[in-house]
Amino acid sequence: MHLAISLNIAAADGQDVLDFGQITALVRNAEAAGVDMVIISDSADKPSSSPFEATTLLAALATVTDKIGLVASASKLAHQPYNLARRFASLDIISHGRVGWNATTAQNPREAANFSRPEGFSDDDFRRRAWEFINIVRLLWIGWEHDALLFDKASGRFHDPDKMHPANFTGEFFSVPGPLNVARSPQDVPVLVMSGLAGTELDFASRRADVVLLDKLEPSGARATRDEIKRRAHEAGRDPVAIKVLAVADGGPEHDGRSLEDLCLSSGCDGIVLTVQPRAAAVEAFVERLLPELKRHGFAKAQGKTLRDRLGLSEDSKP
Amino acid sequence: MSARQMKLGLFLWATGHHIAAWRHPDAHVRAGIDIDHYIKLAQTAEAAKFDMVFCEDAAGLREANINIASQTSRSIGFEPISLLSALAAQTERIGLVSTASTSYNEPYGLARTFASLDNLSGGRAGWNLVTSASPIEAANFGATGLRPHADRYARAREFATVITGLWNRRVPGHDGESFSVRDPLDIPPSPQGAPVMVQAGASDDGKDLAARTADVVFSAAQTFEEAKAFYDDLKGRLAAYGRQPDDVKIMPGVAPVVAATKAEAQAKYDALQELIPDDVGVALLSSYLSISDLGRYPIDGPLPELPEGEGMKSRQALVIEQARRDGLSIRQLARYFAGARGHWRIVGTAEQIADELQARFEGGAADGFNVMPSWFPGELDAFATLVVPELQRRGLFRKDYEGRTLREHLGLKRPI
Repeated sequence: MHLAISLNIAAADGQDVLDFGQITALVRNAEAAGVDMVIISDSADKPSSSPFEATTLLAALATVTDKIGLVASASKLAHQPYNLARRFASLDIISHGRVGWNATTAQNPREAANFSRPEGFSDDDFRRRAWEFINIVRLLWIGWEHDALLFDKASGRFHDPDKMHPANFTGEFFSVPGPLNVARSPQDVPVLVMSGLAGTELDFASRRADVVLLDKLEPSGARATRDEIKRRAHEAGRDPVAIKVLAVADGGPEHDGRSLEDLCLSSGCDGIVLTVQPRAAAVEAFVERLLPELKRHGFAKAQGKTLRDRLGLSEDSKP
Repeated sequence: MSARQMKLGLFLWATGHHIAAWRHPDAHVRAGIDIDHYIKLAQTAEAAKFDMVFCEDAAGLREANINIASQTSRSIGFEPISLLSALAAQTERIGLVSTASTSYNEPYGLARTFASLDNLSGGRAGWNLVTSASPIEAANFGATGLRPHADRYARAREFATVITGLWNRRVPGHDGESFSVRDPLDIPPSPQGAPVMVQAGASDDGKDLAARTADVVFSAAQTFEEAKAFYDDLKGRLAAYGRQPDDVKIMPGVAPVVAATKAEAQAKYDALQELIPDDVGVALLSSYLSISDLGRYPIDGPLPELPEGEGMKSRQALVIEQARRDGLSIRQLARYFAGARGHWRIVGTAEQIADELQARFEGGAADGFNVMPSWFPGELDAFATLVVPELQRRGLFRKDYEGRTLREHLGLKRPI
């Protein structure tokens, strides 16, 4: 059973905000405990007091860890698809293939007003734009074949022009010829994590996502959603094993290792994601009490160099 | 510290600034996919007490012709903000400056990102404001054509106003021509108050924007006279914005090739020049001149008469001026610019290089220099071990950091 922890740095309410040293300590502890990935969320409906933005924090964390997967949220309003694809492709090389993008599909009401879209988006426009955005990012990520770079000093050929493929995307909201000016990911493509899903978004996630995070649900609700995602993935021609569904749970004192194991088994999910409050006391309690218990209950036993390897995703990642 | 000392930046660029650097036998050819390479470069620069490392940026390929592009190392590399964020965790003192375009970003997002880098690094971040002049980049952002120079600068001015407002805890409630922003920035200030503002544009629009908003200005100049004229011009514009000459540090680019003897340095440089394929050199020259068809003129003939483009106006003028002054053929000119991209090159011993830097620094043509090693890591190591100690012996450069933040290194005031 896979284990992820989610740290919403932007949710800090002004008290006891974690600094880089404390976040590093948390992530290293999680790594030592075998946690598959840490998800750095970065959205708040009101101004937060977090000193960091998720992708910059993740880059710094990549250099002080070496096994754990590192997933950052990045908003589709705060970035253009070309810029975001570059950021994550770079992060993946920096981390030696441990990075994922959490593409949340929920609209953050604060964002449009700060990103020169005072009129906002209708839910339907936002959704169509999000799908287009994710498709472009994926096309940019697979633009260079694995062996495109030749590094041939003698002949003077740095890369093989036939192994570079422009995205040539033209859509309703974006047009991006590409190619990306960052090399192919060490894990093929960065892991695509999706969360905040509802209704028709499940269909898109079933076709595209590597990992789906379920909102806090009762085990029966989580099982129904999990079954639906796997069914749609199968219909879309994917191996249902190649999409991992993680049930959400709060990492607070109401849970112990056994109750989380029960949740995971009864929901039929591939693992759990635990939300940890970004406060020093909450982190300390989590690290000292819950983390040591989880391994005994069957969590966090995966091995592998890249995040895809750890999640068992490597076989389904071809374009 | 009593006497005025020069500032030094290290201009990072994958395998090196020379277009053929990647073919040098000792160049680290995998630089664009190796974070450890960059960590070593930044740590070398920090050990040598450089003020900052600096990354340029482009959101697209640098060359449309794929046959040309594939003969250079410039089609892949790290996105600079992720790169510098990684370096922030692996260094302690050195400043971390990245380029980001006002053309293809939003001020709120960029303000958050740089404020975050500034916090991660304990107050060592800087932003190099540029407007984008490349049609290849423009296409990746849905643009059907490159915007005219003046429009790009209008957007850049508004961008600078909004982002400095966010960093300095002013605004919110901006509703302008290009941008609207409702809320204050949700990232707290770093120990240096706000990231350092850097600019490099040398057109009239660029110089005015720099005079109004920049803390540091990077420039390109071949001769002392050009450097001095730019320096006096820019410093002269400051008063109009209520600023003092010392409020802005002007740091021209310099591409040194250093060795124990002048002949040895010249041999090193000549060997690199031999590695430039003609078609690559001519294509690079074409891009500096903002024209597409330079290849149809005889390579050993003179530069043809050219119309003024909407691209990088100042660089274009610099190239044309150089060609006319020295009577260079297209091939000669191409090789000349392929070596240092229009920047000042000095080939010689550590003493000779220190002499030249000292003359421009003390002659009132520079407050410091942005150092552009021709290939990495060798030419950085040579500069750090040969030239920096010589500058320190002369009292022209610090022997240790005096402060913690980039503003402190540069002797800049905190923003309000």
